[in-house]
Amino acid sequence: MAAQEGLGKKPLQVLEKIRENLEKLNEKMEVMIELQKHGKREPELLQDAPLDVMTLLSMPDHLRKTAMAVCRLGRATAEEIAEQTRRARAVESAYLNQLVVMGYLKKERKGRKAYFFVDRESQEG
Amino acid sequence: MGKIIAVHSYKGGTGKTLLSLNLAATFVKRGKKVCLMDLDFRAPSLATILKIEKLDCWLNDYLNGTCEVDKILLNLTERFPNGGEMFVGLANPSTEAIREMSAKDRKWEMRALGRLLALRNSLIETKGFDYLVFDTSPGLQYSSINAIVAADLVLVASTFDRSDVDGTRRMLRELYDLFEKKTDLILNKILQDVSSKPGKEALQAKIKDVYQVPLLGVIPCFCDVLKGEGNFIFAQEKPEHPFTKILDEIAGKIDSNNV
Repeated sequence: MAAQEGLGKKPLQVLEKIRENLEKLNEKMEVMIELQKHGKREPELLQDAPLDVMTLLSMPDHLRKTAMAVCRLGRATAEEIAEQTRRARAVESAYLNQLVVMGYLKKERKGRKAYFFVDRESQEG
Repeated sequence: MGKIIAVHSYKGGTGKTLLSLNLAATFVKRGKKVCLMDLDFRAPSLATILKIEKLDCWLNDYLNGTCEVDKILLNLTERFPNGGEMFVGLANPSTEAIREMSAKDRKWEMRALGRLLALRNSLIETKGFDYLVFDTSPGLQYSSINAIVAADLVLVASTFDRSDVDGTRRMLRELYDLFEKKTDLILNKILQDVSSKPGKEALQAKIKDVYQVPLLGVIPCFCDVLKGEGNFIFAQEKPEHPFTKILDEIAGKIDSNNV
């Protein structure tokens, strides 16, 4: 009952919360689809793998393109990356999330937007 | 908007340093604000050529994160009158520094890439530099590939030596192409006759077949340049020399955004 009352009072906030959760779910789905599409599943989340140039060189072409765009822009949303690579936002979102899963990129949420970046300074050598 | 140019080659001795320095000097002559950076940490040479022995901050320190970029820039504009502005960032030529730089790990190289990428903002966007020219180590070295990734344009210097031609072709396909870098070729130390139009056209046709990339310039083998022994900047001291004129043509093409 209490939840229903809450829903009655703040329908907009609740809907926004649902949308946010769906987006998160969507991103996770995209990562899973990508991992299935490109062969073997990544064994597990790699923690802080350095995105150095040799790693960039050995990456599959589709991920290198995305990673290079992040290098160029520094910090960007999937939409901004998509503008650079001229691929669909959903595709970039999937690749970016895959790079996050692989430990090469970090992801940070600011409101409704998710920013991707290479966390170079926090990785102690 | 300014541009970052990396001068690279497969083999050593192709004239990267000579080209970088003279190209930078040519841009300055054309009124540009230029920063020449020695990213050849294994065999630094700009400090010697420019006769600079001691510095508080080297480019090594900037990449190590112990010095801000303002501290490593050396203003040499006085040496280049009647033109734009010339700054340099130098690699530390001491044996200790070379040893230290060759022992860096992947994480350090990743951070170094971040600092090279940051130069676009700190020097081009904030300080209004027109060109950053990176002189690099030959082949697939970390520091060179970092420079290539950070650059807008890669100038590949090659001679007609067979192993150089083969290696350069491989790099074009397996390095620059993978990073989707705009790449142009400069042939150096060429013995074929390119003074006549048919001679030049025959060479260009041959190059197009071999490399499949645009040819930005052909520099014949000039004994005068070798005789200079790296003691002076050719493009500056010998304005009428054919070498200087070819460099000016190359700079003109880059400037006019044709490349």
